[in-house]
Amino acid sequence: MKLRRPDIVPGLLSLIGLLLLWKAVSLYFLPSFLPSPALLLERVATIFGQSSTYLVMAKTMERVLAGLVLSMLIGAAIGLAMGLRRSVGSFLDSWIMVLLTFPAISWAFISILWFGLSDIAPIFTIVLIVFPYVTMNVWEGTKAMDKELTDMATVFRANRFLLLRKVLIPQLMPYLFSSLRISFALSWKIALVSEAFGASRGVGKELMYWFQGIRADMMLAWGVSFMILMVLIDAIVLRRWEKQVFSWRRAPVA
Amino acid sequence: MSSEAVVIEKLTKMFPNPGGAGEFAVIESLNLQIRRGTFASIVGPSGCGKSTLLNIIAGIETHDAGTLRIIPQEGAASTARIGYVFQSPRLLNWLTVEDNIKFALEAQNIEKALWNQRVKKYLDMVGLGGQERNYPLKLSGGMQQRVAISRALAIEPDILLMDEPFSHLDEITARKMRVDLMHILEHAQPTILFVTHSLREAVFLSEDVYMMSVKPARIFKQVRVDIPRPRHPEDSRLFDLEKDLVKEFFAVLELSQQ
Repeated sequence: MKLRRPDIVPGLLSLIGLLLLWKAVSLYFLPSFLPSPALLLERVATIFGQSSTYLVMAKTMERVLAGLVLSMLIGAAIGLAMGLRRSVGSFLDSWIMVLLTFPAISWAFISILWFGLSDIAPIFTIVLIVFPYVTMNVWEGTKAMDKELTDMATVFRANRFLLLRKVLIPQLMPYLFSSLRISFALSWKIALVSEAFGASRGVGKELMYWFQGIRADMMLAWGVSFMILMVLIDAIVLRRWEKQVFSWRRAPVA
Repeated sequence: MSSEAVVIEKLTKMFPNPGGAGEFAVIESLNLQIRRGTFASIVGPSGCGKSTLLNIIAGIETHDAGTLRIIPQEGAASTARIGYVFQSPRLLNWLTVEDNIKFALEAQNIEKALWNQRVKKYLDMVGLGGQERNYPLKLSGGMQQRVAISRALAIEPDILLMDEPFSHLDEITARKMRVDLMHILEHAQPTILFVTHSLREAVFLSEDVYMMSVKPARIFKQVRVDIPRPRHPEDSRLFDLEKDLVKEFFAVLELSQQ
């Protein structure tokens, strides 16, 4: 605690400075073009005050979760297969690179053309953009696996399933968790873009609605509101889970 | 019941020449018989192919010629059970001590009903009773190696392979571990093939000492250590035997270098 105190001061100063600058600039514009910090806060409060907000956010969350889970499963399975079989690795390597390089925004539009206004379009978009990252990350993880442990398991005659479950996958956990957190951050941003153009309801749709009404204040307010929710999920759910999974790593008690 | 646990005849292992074409024999026409229930050591200088030999017996390396038989105890499953204690513990750090042992039991298809009893028996034997729920990284290096020993004993192996298991420990811990291992062997009587570069360690622990030459690896002498157990590390008979064997070793090494 003693060490942390001096760190807070510069951070606090920069925050206050930013708010003051923002307030000053906002004086020169219409509130609907650039709201002041206080007005934005008010708008955010209004958004959280409406019960319909929660239905909208729940709809978006549903798509984010579906996309995220599918991306993790597909990405991890392919990454693992590529790592365990060299031939699979060289076979799929260039395809994954193509997917990683392909402009993400194109998928958002293409999937709307393919699937129309439905839940499938945003989920499909998320999966196509996110799973290649997971694959690359997990593939990287398989390269760092300890051959000595695999030998140990072989000597004790562990079958493939046991080897995978107790020896290989646990070694991939750090990579899976970093993939999960990056994927989560990516997924919800992609979901908003996709929803803006191809959904009948969702946070992205709200952004589009206020965009058409030329209301930057409401767009910012919706963006901030959803961001708050996502940051909370990351901090409360994902980080805690990670800490619990890696409890075995905690420094040895002397 | 066969009196031999392991029979190796004319075993040859080739390695590719470093940086060149062709192959050389790391192990050439090696013969070795290990009596059931005894403690046998192979002593040889570093890089003579001792670990390679253990890995061949363990089935993680192949050999190029000769035969290798591990004879399961009567009534045991038709495939021989092999326990292995490596230089480093090679524990699964994300599993508790107990689950590390159960991993080996599961791998060996040992009936689940026996697991808890085996865990308790062999953890107690290595002096780690009460550490079941602890994680390996919270234990000292010596304790981790004890877990590895109890993991190998818990499957009640037909042959227990030990590859310089104390070489990564500080000398004081290693010394205590050797004495403790001797006590453990009074309770369990597995057949052990122990590999070391230390004649002192081999003489102290073993009933049979096999001395191995370098390039190619061959057993050039077998010595029976007839000093009854429990032995004391400072027993002068052990020192005398060690001295004689060291002399012989140097003679052979010098010969091979000419």
